[in-house]
Amino acid sequence: MASPAALRPSMGAIMQTCRSAATAPKVAVAVPVRALSTSAALLKRHKYPTARVTRDNSKQRGESALRKSGTRWKLSVSDEPLPEPVPREELPPIQVDENHGLWDFFYDRETVAMAPLEHTKHGRAWTVSELRKKSWDDLHRLWWVCVKERNRIATANWERTKSELGFGLAEANERDRNVKQTMRGIKHVLTERFYAWEDAVKLAEQDPEIDLSNPENPYTPSTFLEAEETAEGAEASEAQSTTEIDPTTIPSSKSQAEAPRV
Amino acid sequence: MASVAKTGAEALRNAPFRVGKKQIFLPNHVITFVRPLPKQPPNLATFIVPLEFNKLDLRDYLYHVYNVEVTGVRSFVNQRMHEQRHGDVGNWRRPKSQKMMIAELAKPFVWPKPPAEDAREAFDYAMWKKQKTAQEQDTKFQGIRAQGEVVPPSQFEVTKDRKAIKARQSKFLSGEETWAPGKVNAFLNSKIVPVEEGWSEVEENLPLDESAEAAAEESSSKSSETRQ
Repeated sequence: MASPAALRPSMGAIMQTCRSAATAPKVAVAVPVRALSTSAALLKRHKYPTARVTRDNSKQRGESALRKSGTRWKLSVSDEPLPEPVPREELPPIQVDENHGLWDFFYDRETVAMAPLEHTKHGRAWTVSELRKKSWDDLHRLWWVCVKERNRIATANWERTKSELGFGLAEANERDRNVKQTMRGIKHVLTERFYAWEDAVKLAEQDPEIDLSNPENPYTPSTFLEAEETAEGAEASEAQSTTEIDPTTIPSSKSQAEAPRV
Repeated sequence: MASVAKTGAEALRNAPFRVGKKQIFLPNHVITFVRPLPKQPPNLATFIVPLEFNKLDLRDYLYHVYNVEVTGVRSFVNQRMHEQRHGDVGNWRRPKSQKMMIAELAKPFVWPKPPAEDAREAFDYAMWKKQKTAQEQDTKFQGIRAQGEVVPPSQFEVTKDRKAIKARQSKFLSGEETWAPGKVNAFLNSKIVPVEEGWSEVEENLPLDESAEAAAEESSSKSSETRQ
């Protein structure tokens, strides 16, 4: 029979942690002592006086802290009250920061999703002609507004289905469609500008007045001299005289009608 | 709400973590913020993120877009069930998996409790619930019938008119009222309205016993003889 007074390291460690628990003990519960089939009292297989001793050589048989089996023998600390954790419902409520960034995922701080009648109160998407007037920074800012709105819609949809709030999916999809159209418009405008820039670069490479290797002042327009102007005027008048139309060569309307359509 | 920056460059604040040099323009991702499980502590926030996201991306995203500081991120991927292209026919395929990430917040966030079922008027919860239960029952019955089984009549919902008819039935069985042909408004459980005037009996005084039948035959044969 093992001595009950000897504290095994495993049991001793458990006692230590319980005592150092910060939470106040709610209910005092003593560590249970469980009688197993191989407990000393039950292990007396042969009950005649000169019977040989039968012992359980595994002294820690059945002891488990995880499964709260309790000790095999009553220990000196068995009757000591142990602290119990505070139940979840009685914990003090946590104060959430009013300006927490995650509130931006919600339409409503109570219901998360917006009521369908309110959710339909939105305008149309931005048109491409309206977006063309906007600067690079403004377009990017609008893009992120749309991104956050789509996140809000997705969050509301998930919460509405999970918490079984009711209708609202159709309205949310309509709203999402408008947001996506705005985003499409932004990309369209920026793509247009990019293509225009690409074409401008190609033209600039051929333009003698533009020097792309000078980033500070690439455009240096040539000065307009008077001599050049008179010479150009004479050339223009000469060109006009040569291109005078002879009235006899103009075909009549009849011949035009008779002529085969190509 | 974070204030809008004057330019994009100003928006880049000093993050509490190392930020890369790669600039990302116009990202088209949707992040869904989902309700935590009941026993999760308040410093955990769960998101559904695109499959292409990584933990560093989420940390960066939450900081720069929502000004939410995060001490750690956990991620896991939920595989979708394999399915055939058209329901029960077509090639077998597995749809794209879903990635979820749990961010460990620096500042806790507690979700509001969902409103009570009586307080969901704005979402027309009553009608929605009716529709949903009817749909679920319909699917269930379809499944039973597809197996070749019969749906027991006790499963069908007893409607108002049937309840009214049953109420009247008890009165007839007890003998309190006697049934007579006529219009009955089961909903109002009102008295029997008498039959319309001009109702003509097709066969009056029908004989119900054999002797009567034989007599009837004789009379009919006599009448036929007289005609001939």
